[in-house]
Formats: sequence, structure tokens, C-alpha cells
Amino acid sequence: MAKITLGGNPINTKGDLPAIGTEAPNFKLVDESLKVQELSDYKGKKIVLNIFPSIDTGVCANSVRTFNKEATDLENVSILNISRDLPFAFKRFCAAEGIENVVNLSEFRDTNFSDAYNVMITDGGFAGLLSRAIVIVNEAGQVIYTEQVPEIGQDPNFAAALAALKS
Amino acid sequence: MEIEGLKFRNGFQTIKAPNYFMATITLEGVTAHTCGQLPKLGSKAPNFSLVDQGLNNHSLNSYLGKKVVLNIFPSVDTGICANSVRTFNREAAELDNVVVLNISRDLPFSFKRFCIAEEIKNVITLSEFRDSSFSDRYNVLIMDGDFEGLMSRAVIIIDEQGMVIYSEQVPEIAQDPNFEAALAMLK
Repeated sequence: MAKITLGGNPINTKGDLPAIGTEAPNFKLVDESLKVQELSDYKGKKIVLNIFPSIDTGVCANSVRTFNKEATDLENVSILNISRDLPFAFKRFCAAEGIENVVNLSEFRDTNFSDAYNVMITDGGFAGLLSRAIVIVNEAGQVIYTEQVPEIGQDPNFAAALAALKS
Repeated sequence: MEIEGLKFRNGFQTIKAPNYFMATITLEGVTAHTCGQLPKLGSKAPNFSLVDQGLNNHSLNSYLGKKVVLNIFPSVDTGICANSVRTFNREAAELDNVVVLNISRDLPFSFKRFCIAEEIKNVITLSEFRDSSFSDRYNVLIMDGDFEGLMSRAVIIIDEQGMVIYSEQVPEIAQDPNFEAALAMLK
């Protein structure tokens, strides 16, 4: 269990994020067209996993906008936004906001992603949602950066994540 | 006796399910299957726990004494589902002692956004995102095709004593439920 907070109240996730230097676990998630995508589809690129509770909340939506804006300046980087929102919610959001530089993946069919990355919230009002976290995977499939955001209502550290991508 | 069934993918894994349970529907003409038949008319409606827009749990038992409409669908962010919520919201205002529960695997935040934007105030929206206990008991989980893992389109009406008095498994996902027939049961 990893301890985080939701509006200041202590809650728990399933566990710790994958350790830096380890091989990032593969996963299967569903994109806006209802096609299954795997981490292994992106081998040879740097991959940002931008993980959050729901695109229909302000902080999560802002993180998608921020990465969408930054993604245009990044070479050989794929940004995968991951939550348990349905693909239809992602599609509506991205169409309304003109989000085009990032990929949105939904975990609605099972829990294979949140089990492997330990990002499922296990108690409180957000039980069953994904915690806010960033995981960066390098071209060889190794975890090179992680942040488990300690408070759900707080932005991830964009500057640190972007620095890890440019290094 | 176990009856050998067809193989279906469930959550990316292949499982075996007895084929006499399956219900066949279509998604824009392409055959798909749900995990079973809706609860029978005259049977007791299974209890469930689902999550509302305030992230509070609702059980069916808390509505005993009212007629309950379960308006079940794939996603409020698709046209036909959204239309069914609007229709029941409009009709519900004129119904006495009836509660309409809109149920899908949309997150509560998506329901909230939709209901604020559309001024939906006469119905309740409930999300199944924590487990699959509702779709397992009501047999509304789609097992294959693009909509695998979503709920099928179905309407179930439960009377004041908690018995199933009406059900419709809409045969084609892209088709409206039979609103007239459902409303006739409520009036």
C-alpha cells in the first residue's frame, strides 16, 4: 500500500509504482476507437504514462492539456493518458478541446494495468479509480522516472517529467 | 451437469461460459453476446451497490416501496444513451412514486458533467466502476466485440415489492429502447 491524500484525507493505493531501472510491465488498454493498445506497441520510443482519476475533473483535464501542448516539442515521445474513463468520455473531451498530440487509453474491461502499476485507489470516495501518477519509460522499456502525486487534488510535477524526457 | 459452451473473451482472457446463458444482440449489425439473460419477470430483482455522482453507494434495497426503472446502457457519451436519459428525465417528472436509475460503466464525473450540461434533474445516475457485481447479477455485460466490457442496452422495471415486472434487452445496441412499453408499465 502507498499512502496518498484526497482533499487532505489519507487514502491508500494498491502499492508502490514500479521501481526505477526495472522493466515496465506490459499492459492492454482500450483507445478512443475501442482498439486494444499495448505498451509493447510503443517500443523504441520514450513513453509518458500520465495516470489520473478522471478526465472529467479539473486537475486531470489540465494535465492532458499540458502534455498535449508540450508533446509538440518532444521528439520520439508518446504520451499515453490513462484512466478508467470510458473511451467515449475521452473522445468527447478531446474533440471539444482540440487535443490531438496524445493518446488516451481506458482501463474499463479489467484491472490489468492498475494491478501491474499498483495505481488503484483502494479506499475512500475514489476507491476503484486510478491515482494521479507519472511513469516514464525509455526506448528500451525501462522505467526511468516516476511520481506518485501525494495529494490527488494537486498537479503532477510537469517540469521534472519534461526534464526527464529531454535528458 | 455442465454444458460445454462457446469460448468468449472476458477482460482479454478467454473463458468458457455455458452457451445457454448467453443472450445474442447486435452492434450496428455485428453479432455480440451478453453474459446471460435478464432476470425473469416475476422473480425478485437482485440487490446491487452502485456509485452516484457524489461518489456515494446506492443499493436497490434503499428504493423498496417505489417502482424502479433501471435504464441500462453502454455510455452516456453516445447519442442513443444520452437520449434515453433525456427521455426518462422528461417523463419521470410526471410519474408518481417512480425512481429512474440510469446505469452504465461511465465514471460518476462523466455523468455529473452530462447532467449539469443538460439540466437533468429528475433521474439518478449510477456508475459501475468498482466491480462488476451489477452486470454479473443482471447479465448485462457485453462479452465480445468492440463493446466488450460495457453494458448492453436494457430496461428493467421493478415494482414496489422488489419484483421484476418488465424487461427489455434491446436487440440492437444502436437502437432506442421501447419507451412507450416501459412507460405504460409505470402509469
